Amino acid sequence: MNSMTIEIKALLENVATVRVAISSFISNLDITIDELMDVKTAVSEAVTNSVEHGYDGILDDESTVMINAYIIADEEDMIRIEVIDKGVGIEDIELATTPTYTSKPELEHAGMGFTIMESFMDEIVIDSSKNEGTKITMNKKLKKKKSREISV
Amino acid sequence: MNYNYKEGNLVIMLDEDLDMNSCKYLRAIIDGYIMRYQPKNFILDLSLVKFMDSSGIGLIIGRYNLLKLIDSSMTIVNPTNSIKRVLELSNVSKDIVMRSE
Repeated sequence: MNSMTIEIKALLENVATVRVAISSFISNLDITIDELMDVKTAVSEAVTNSVEHGYDGILDDESTVMINAYIIADEEDMIRIEVIDKGVGIEDIELATTPTYTSKPELEHAGMGFTIMESFMDEIVIDSSKNEGTKITMNKKLKKKKSREISV
Repeated sequence: MNYNYKEGNLVIMLDEDLDMNSCKYLRAIIDGYIMRYQPKNFILDLSLVKFMDSSGIGLIIGRYNLLKLIDSSMTIVNPTNSIKRVLELSNVSKDIVMRSE
């Protein structure tokens, strides 16, 4: 299993850096452009959520978001992404994951973050405790390209 | 970004990733142009945009709602495949014309 960890201060300007690093990490796999963009978009949503909502706008040196990426090689290659903050937690997970729900409508958030994560990844697990933080785990299996299946 | 206004058509061409970081300031700038020109047709050109997440949906819905108030139409030009898939997850794709050229 290959892995990578990045830790960023919870600032929006760091989200692009995470996207680029994750894309680069998984780009050597036998992966289609669509699959790569799916992972990149889901990561952007999860990290943006942690930055925007995790710390309620009050940042100190401990206000970080950690991103772990794993490549699990098996019969099908799988990418696992974990996004972890030590922030305020999600009070009502069901509400937070409802399509178009946003706690910040005045900021024109579309409330589609979890919908995108659920649609673009195969599996998503949300683990959140009040005032302890939130951990999002997302898995995506890569479909083997036909050419390789035939050569096997 | 750059913009062009001619005969009722306002074209805004964006050239960066559309995420929360960029959408936060882009909406104010774009609204400034819309209010200044009050165009008949608003064209958002995404030819140079390589990445968009749900923040972009928020940006587009917000502009769409503003344009509706002044009876203007909205067209999105040249979204990448991946941007199209993000847009198709929201209802916005039913109301806004998308075009590749």
